[in-house]
Amino acid sequence: MQKGIAMQSINPRSTASLCGHPIHAMLVPVPVVCFTATLVSDIVYWRTAAMLWADISAWLLLIGLIVSLFAATAGVIDFFGDRRIRELRAAWIHALGNVAALVLSIFNALIHTRDAYTSVVPAGLILSALVVLILVVTGWNGWTMVYRHGVGVLHKGAP
Amino acid sequence: MKSACFAAGAIAILLAAAGCGPAPIDPQRQIGADPYLPPIHEYLLPPMHVAKVVGWNGATPTAAAGLKVQAFATGLANPRSLYVLPNGDVLVVETGGPPGPVSRPKEIVMNWVEKMAHSRTKPGQRILLFRDTKGNGVPDQKFVLLDHLNSPFGVVLVGNDLYVANTDAVIRFPYTTGQTQITAPGVKLCDLPGGPIDHHWTKSLTASPDGAQLYAGVGSNSNITENGIEAEVGRAAIWQIDRATGAHREYATGLRNPNGLQFEPQTHTLWAVINERDELGPDLVPDYLTSIRDGAFYGWPYSYYGQHIDPRVKPQRPDLVAKAIPPDYALSSHVAPLGLVFYTGTNLPEHYRGGAFVGEHGSWDRSVLNGYKIVYVPFADGRPSGPAEDVVTGFLIGGDKARGRPVGLAVDGQGALLIADDTGNSVWRVSAAQPTMAADR
Repeated sequence: MQKGIAMQSINPRSTASLCGHPIHAMLVPVPVVCFTATLVSDIVYWRTAAMLWADISAWLLLIGLIVSLFAATAGVIDFFGDRRIRELRAAWIHALGNVAALVLSIFNALIHTRDAYTSVVPAGLILSALVVLILVVTGWNGWTMVYRHGVGVLHKGAP
Repeated sequence: MKSACFAAGAIAILLAAAGCGPAPIDPQRQIGADPYLPPIHEYLLPPMHVAKVVGWNGATPTAAAGLKVQAFATGLANPRSLYVLPNGDVLVVETGGPPGPVSRPKEIVMNWVEKMAHSRTKPGQRILLFRDTKGNGVPDQKFVLLDHLNSPFGVVLVGNDLYVANTDAVIRFPYTTGQTQITAPGVKLCDLPGGPIDHHWTKSLTASPDGAQLYAGVGSNSNITENGIEAEVGRAAIWQIDRATGAHREYATGLRNPNGLQFEPQTHTLWAVINERDELGPDLVPDYLTSIRDGAFYGWPYSYYGQHIDPRVKPQRPDLVAKAIPPDYALSSHVAPLGLVFYTGTNLPEHYRGGAFVGEHGSWDRSVLNGYKIVYVPFADGRPSGPAEDVVTGFLIGGDKARGRPVGLAVDGQGALLIADDTGNSVWRVSAAQPTMAADR
């Protein structure tokens, strides 16, 4: 029944979905929040040199990275699962940008394994800020995919 | 497919960059008073490289020419320090540290690496007494002198008082020479910085030549303040503890992890071996042997070898850095010296008299392993007078497997050198290959 609806949908289809709900959309908020909060705790550490904030950044990066591996897997499956997604310029920006953010965050997590000040300042802080800037662009393009092109949105019949 | 290629390429670059780092230099360039100090290199991934523990399986360490090695005791549970009583009885401290806290993901990995580098035997928390009634140097009696201690390390006897440095306090026990078991409850002389975070937990202990003062080594609570500067109160210091009152003061500070506290026999000056900081490169910062001056500041955490600033410490303290003095004698980087003994016996060849033996536990964050041996530093007029030379080796085989790791040292009643080997769960005895007339007759 689900499959039938999806086949009829005029919208680009999400392949990695659970009862018609795209898995990528369910998971992606976790790394977005973690990496954004990493920038906040990095800034607080930079201003206070209180180690607790650097420790918080390290945990946020780890959790963000673990969940983003699942989110990215679902995203890649969706990307290659429907030609209509690959035809969208927004999808390319979203995919490539998020891969870049993920790779930078792996670097950032390694930088954050250093001890004390240089685990954050300057390299960690710069990477955290870059990642958030990328996420603003990829997030915007992700919304373009869903709200303008209806990627993963079930819709029966004509608009 | 483009994004997959991009991801694969980026990860390959990442891994290549993580593995990069300066090649280790010849450790000989960092032996002595004026070591070569390379530029700082901070890693993406520190090269954690510990020797795989394989055990001795009947083999023994290798001694330099003119010396022989025999097993003094085997089958122990993490023996880490040694103390010889006036009647020749040998105390062996079986001990292990408290579990490390996990305040960030890195510590999960670090705790695992540390576990890999040590013996699988659960450490004892006790002091054993070994007695040689036949006079052949090998003990034939073994007693449990004290049990249920709290990560003990340092031991010193002054008169009829036996002091044990647990990780959190110095405890005094009444002791008469010849006694093989202590049942009397100990009396606390002085608290020492212990948990809940207790990063460098070994508290080395010695007494002044007149017996009036005790000196305790209190290591830092982090590599380089990553547990917060507030966790370092009273740490990275050598404490002077008044034996009569238990009152203490910080005798010297800025010593990241001081161990092997010993008075040099000729000048009656306090000396120690210090474990310096990690993760600034394979050749920073050299560990060292130094005399300890009253009131001196040796740099940790703000600087090393005088005024070389460590960029990882914020806020910095230029006022303290200005006062920091360089140590006397570098032992090269990451060798982890934990044992020190000045040789005043007559059993070993003339060559070894008057200098210091240093027990090097061995490196964990250097691609080419360093340490894992006993070296001899010659002394003249109470100062080091030449390059360190290897005395006991063979703890490593094939460059990356460890049979054991040396820790504490002592000189027994006959003048032989004793070595505590925590990973090999043994104590080794090094004596002259050809007994001297004095030892023979």
